[in-house]
Amino acid sequence: MLDKTTIICRCEEISYEEIEEVIDQGARTFDDVKRLTRCGMGPCQAKICTNLVANIIHEQTGRPLHKIPLPRMRMPLSPIKLETLTTDSTSFSAVKSVLDEVELEDGKVR
Amino acid sequence: METSYETIVIGGGVVGNGIAYHLSERYKEGVLVLDKKYPMSGTSGSTQAWVWVHNKTPSWYAEFNMYSAELYPYLSKKIGDVEYKRTGGLSPFFNESDREKAKQLAESYRKIGIKIKVLSRDEVLKKEPSINPEVAGATYSSIDGNVNPFRLIDMYMRAAKKNSVHYSTYNKVTAIQKYEGKYIVVSDMETYVCKNLILAGGTWTRELGGMLGINIPVNQLRGQILVSEPLKPFLNYTISGLRQANNGEVLMGYSMEKAGFNRATTLDVIQETANMAVHYVPSLRKAKVVRAFSGIRAMPEDGFPILGKIPGFENLFVAATHSGVTLSPLIGTLMTELLVDGETSIPIDRYSISRFN
Repeated sequence: MLDKTTIICRCEEISYEEIEEVIDQGARTFDDVKRLTRCGMGPCQAKICTNLVANIIHEQTGRPLHKIPLPRMRMPLSPIKLETLTTDSTSFSAVKSVLDEVELEDGKVR
Repeated sequence: METSYETIVIGGGVVGNGIAYHLSERYKEGVLVLDKKYPMSGTSGSTQAWVWVHNKTPSWYAEFNMYSAELYPYLSKKIGDVEYKRTGGLSPFFNESDREKAKQLAESYRKIGIKIKVLSRDEVLKKEPSINPEVAGATYSSIDGNVNPFRLIDMYMRAAKKNSVHYSTYNKVTAIQKYEGKYIVVSDMETYVCKNLILAGGTWTRELGGMLGINIPVNQLRGQILVSEPLKPFLNYTISGLRQANNGEVLMGYSMEKAGFNRATTLDVIQETANMAVHYVPSLRKAKVVRAFSGIRAMPEDGFPILGKIPGFENLFVAATHSGVTLSPLIGTLMTELLVDGETSIPIDRYSISRFN
């Protein structure tokens, strides 16, 4: 049985009460609750709290569980070191440098 | 349910909410904010949220951003803790050849009163010891910083609600008509009538304009960002490309792609972003990535904000921009002045939609 102080998200230490409060403010999906409280933003990426939060939304709003969307799963699903993602490439295409965007016109900044 | 309002703001992102909150300070008439989902589910919730001035060009646009950054300390006093930190901003460069460009930038900013320093390699490493020692230099400005975008919007909404602003969320606008000097706004849940209508739909502003036959040239630009596990505080500044949040997470990314409304993250850009991050700050190699996210930015066709009245449509306003987080307090202030006083304390003529004709 959950009470007001039960921790729903262990990674970010978010309690039942905090989730209840943002549903009261208008949150209707797991991702709404996440952005407002950080519930599910920690290392486990919502693997533990998804169903608990869905149940609270269901209880508070009466919305059927099958109509409460699942959180958007994020790469890399389980934490990995940044060096695992790096490559040997030294050129960039989509990634920009702020200074590269500064355009010069006749040798002067526009 | 109330369906008649003095003013309706379509869009509850950082721009629409900034306007609604600032309006609520001076304006006791009915204000309604409509959002197709819940605020933060779009652009405003998928950003690194730099409050960024330096490197923006031309200098008059940097000046506009500076005025907004200057409003942040006061705003956080009024609406509550939004985790705004004026860290100062560093834009490192790795080729000595970029120093001349950096100096030109500093010179053009000096004329408008924004101080930018062009730092030597040693000065950069002294300020930010974690930067790659191969760095050649950096531009630095003390005006830059960052904010927690979730706290910002949540606090805007709470403050606006306290001042009697109404919100209707998960309520998409499907049609807008002009009728006898009023605007009729048809949405999924209700049909509303208002005198003043403000289009602040961010990436969707073009679609909103289309409902009235107005061309509002705003396009979409995707950015992908990586988030690390919480690390002990080690980055002192907002670095153009990455920053450390209050809880220790490092947010990394500065990518731009044309992908319409597709919010996927892609391995190629994730890898490029990882390359950029470890190139700037080599010790991040061993840090773990917890998640990647992407956001669709609103990008007006010429890159500059589209603000103010829409010619030919009485009491119709638009506020669509890139850099919404940086500009939100200023846009909120100026749009409120425009509505309440009929004029703005800082000229916004150059941001008028009429420039596209």
